[in-house]
Amino acid sequence: MSAGATRGPGEEPEAAGPDPAVGTEPEWKRVHPVSPLVRGWIALAALAYFVGRDQVESGFAGGGMDLPAGSALFWTLLALGVALVVIAGAFFLSWWFTRYQLTHDHIRVHSGVVVRRQRQARLDRVQAIDIVQPLLARIFGLAELRFEVADAGESAVRLAFLRLRDAQQLRAQILEDASGAEETHPDGDGDAGDATVPGEQQVLALSAGRVIASVLLSGTTVLLVLAVAGVIALTALTGEAASIAAMVPIIFGFGSAYWNLFSSGFNFRASVSREGIRLRSGLLDTRASTVPPGRIQALAVRQPPLWRIPGWYSISVNVAGYGAGTDGASTARTRLLPAGTSEEVLRMLALVLPDPGTGDPVEVFAAGISGTGPAAGFTVSPRRARWLSPLSRRRNGYLVTETALLSRHGFLWRSLQVVPHSRTQSLALEQGPVARRLRLADLVLHSTPGPVSPRVVEIDADTARQLLHEQALRARTARRRDLPEQWLRGSGPSLAKSPPAGTAPVPPSPTPVAPPSTPVSPPPTPVSPPSAPVAPPPVSKEEPPHEHR
Amino acid sequence: MPSEAIDPATVQWQHVSPKYLRLRLLSWGLETVITLLVTGLPLVLRLTGIWPGYPAWLAWGLPIFFAATLLWRGLLLPRQVRAIGYAERNEDLLLRRGIFFQRTLVVPYGRMQYVDVAVGPLERAFGLCTLKLHTAAPGTNAGLAGLPSAEGARLREHLSARGEAQLAGL
Repeated sequence: MSAGATRGPGEEPEAAGPDPAVGTEPEWKRVHPVSPLVRGWIALAALAYFVGRDQVESGFAGGGMDLPAGSALFWTLLALGVALVVIAGAFFLSWWFTRYQLTHDHIRVHSGVVVRRQRQARLDRVQAIDIVQPLLARIFGLAELRFEVADAGESAVRLAFLRLRDAQQLRAQILEDASGAEETHPDGDGDAGDATVPGEQQVLALSAGRVIASVLLSGTTVLLVLAVAGVIALTALTGEAASIAAMVPIIFGFGSAYWNLFSSGFNFRASVSREGIRLRSGLLDTRASTVPPGRIQALAVRQPPLWRIPGWYSISVNVAGYGAGTDGASTARTRLLPAGTSEEVLRMLALVLPDPGTGDPVEVFAAGISGTGPAAGFTVSPRRARWLSPLSRRRNGYLVTETALLSRHGFLWRSLQVVPHSRTQSLALEQGPVARRLRLADLVLHSTPGPVSPRVVEIDADTARQLLHEQALRARTARRRDLPEQWLRGSGPSLAKSPPAGTAPVPPSPTPVAPPSTPVSPPPTPVSPPSAPVAPPPVSKEEPPHEHR
Repeated sequence: MPSEAIDPATVQWQHVSPKYLRLRLLSWGLETVITLLVTGLPLVLRLTGIWPGYPAWLAWGLPIFFAATLLWRGLLLPRQVRAIGYAERNEDLLLRRGIFFQRTLVVPYGRMQYVDVAVGPLERAFGLCTLKLHTAAPGTNAGLAGLPSAEGARLREHLSARGEAQLAGL
């Protein structure tokens, strides 16, 4: 197969629709030929470094760049040439033996030279698709496609690297097949020659200033102040300046933490289509994650102390394929909103929880993210819990809607956790010795690995026991009428029964997110009823970028 | 077992095999002997005059501390084993454990991804096994140790069948 195999002639008819002749085997394709170079540039850089360093060192020693002469030069060049040939051969082999195939139901990848690996993943098991562009790949116009299934570890399928356009096309096609849509793009606008983002609609874009300010006011700053105060106190106590040296690693650590937060949150944009929610962000390395409807297992709205000044919140989500990594990249892709106002929080919540299951979602969620006491129907810890949580007692509480459990806690570091009933895995009541004396208990909801560990803290033991029973029942009922994995096939009653969209579930339209055919009106979501003052239509100030990546 | 405050009402808990207590006591005994031998060695050396420089408070304190904690844990063991319970309901499996830090866990059959049965050498000698349920959530952490082998196998088959019948996605 030639170098242009990634965009072979077979692609166009296949991309045109899910109804290719059943008998014909879809074509096997290869990734872009430059990709081993982009992946393995570190090996080349190391080689260049060793050779270059020798040259430079001998240059410094001899006063000038005296190249080795005669046979020495010959052997050096020969060694260098052999090394280059070996590396190039390895690159070629790894490229040659990596092939992928997309059928109507599966994606298959064969890879490995010595140890062959054949992997196959079912399309309707997709939990998320990411298109990632590390800096070097961006320079080459390449992108990596990651297909996530619910194994909580590494990506099920990683195609590195494809041409950006091909990656986008592949993603569109995978999502098309995975959704079980009966026809392709019923609205048909804008997908001629541009199969990347039909019907995508920008919901939110964060300015660079917002990201910088949010990083500077983040919890990291609180920790930094505490760390500096600790070092100063230590210096004052011991009277030695030696502990100043401890500042150096602290500064480096916090510097990299700030940088990670900034570079991953930079240029954050959220948009919505019937394929799900698409999030883009990144300064040097960029990523675009697509999470189909119903794949979000739990979410948390958080507010570190300093964010109270501007009134910002962040949203993190558990998605089954993303796992619980704690490095910068993992936290970046589990962030649904790096820093947003309460109005933006409600707008994002409306996307992921199309049916909040309550009559007054605005009041309920506002009480959840910043309220205290029993307002809006929250059940808070009883008064005797003040011995355990003197500050956050009136904040700790829960509320059950028809579709989700909301748990809020934290006085200084506020947080609201939302778990849809249909996403509850297992439940537990926990009670320690002090809590038993006070007749309190915690309800723990187990979710897939991720940044959110839902827990209802310190509620009355009898209430908790009752809640455990009811919640098990609710989860069971919700599971029964859950959205099917192929989210456009059939009807998803639990999501389609929202009052505004309460029409009979017409097969192509029960998409819980904004229908692509309505460019201005907000998603048909009860969190943002059209009349609600907090959730205006998704603003797209600038032209939605032409599928930046 | 008296129903504790956080247990659902009207649940008939099944208990693990009484042999499991013997197994736990045996491993507890082994642990005690080894710990006391190691921590008591300096004391013996000091009393016999081989290592007179060793501080007396440490020589006495260390073994006494470990002996006290081990004794406390040993005394708790029977109650701990009695506190382990499980109940198969129509739609889910209930597990409970703990005396001071109690936990009551509900695992819906439809959420079980797979079921493990593990048997260690000591367990095999006692004819016991350990059952472990896995859901998509790592926090589920639902292990049930000390089941008789036959009961473990029955439970595994039963749970797998139930799980298959009610399997939900994620």
